[in-house]
Amino acid sequence: MPRFLREILIITALTILGAAFSLCSGLAPLPWAEQELAPGEIQLIDARALDVLWVDARSKADFDAGHIPEAICLNDEHWETGVVKLMGTWLMSPRTIIVYCGSESCDASKLIADRLRESLPDAEIYSLKGGWNAWVQ
Amino acid sequence: MGAIDKKSLFVLIARLVLAGVFVMAALPKIEDPITFTNSVAAFRVIDLDLSAWVALFLPWLELVLGLGILIPDIRRSSATLIGLLLFSFIALHTSAWLRGLDISCGCFGYETGEPGTNYSWLIARNVVLLWFICLVLRQDMRNNPAAPSS
Repeated sequence: MPRFLREILIITALTILGAAFSLCSGLAPLPWAEQELAPGEIQLIDARALDVLWVDARSKADFDAGHIPEAICLNDEHWETGVVKLMGTWLMSPRTIIVYCGSESCDASKLIADRLRESLPDAEIYSLKGGWNAWVQ
Repeated sequence: MGAIDKKSLFVLIARLVLAGVFVMAALPKIEDPITFTNSVAAFRVIDLDLSAWVALFLPWLELVLGLGILIPDIRRSSATLIGLLLFSFIALHTSAWLRGLDISCGCFGYETGEPGTNYSWLIARNVVLLWFICLVLRQDMRNNPAAPSS
């Protein structure tokens, strides 16, 4: 066996042993297990306990079809009007802002939450885990 | 001391610095893989599920390579892989810089607490380490040119 390949095999084996140690000792969570929460996410049960300003990051059509009471429609298409309305509401009564989109798999709430963190650096902003589906369930 | 010339001494120091940096970078990340998972995911190159796998294996790979660069049996492959890793880190930091991401580097597994990442410093540091690895590899090739295929 070529020496280089043998060295790579040794390094790979040692790395796998180390990773196995992390898993067996409980240092690392199982990567295939469902992640509890991504950074900046909040669960609905925790959100309900807060005084929240809801932001709907779905399309206007989805928003019109149904949304969380008093939610503000804010997506990339209606960013300017939505963010002005949101800022006005938040400045009148500062509270936690939670952005939601359609479901667990959508990414819009995280992207809108990131944009909002730049526009409102003083605000506490989360994206809702599970999105609108979690709310209606 | 007469047997070691200045150049060899410098390469030895470079080797020790590389080993120290990789071991020091690996240990906090092995200790706290969840924080490192979030740091990896924050680069927005791979999703959170894949980030968890990276956070599981990469710190151990760094530890093995950091020690491996000092062990004669595996030091050339370790040095080669360290070079590839450093090249990847430079590409990753450049990409994050160009995309304007304001994130923690996660390089040493903990948040620095600084308001923003100093990408130019991170890239410069990795370029210096890459230069060190080139010196180490060149010396290994000179000292043992037939090693890879023996």
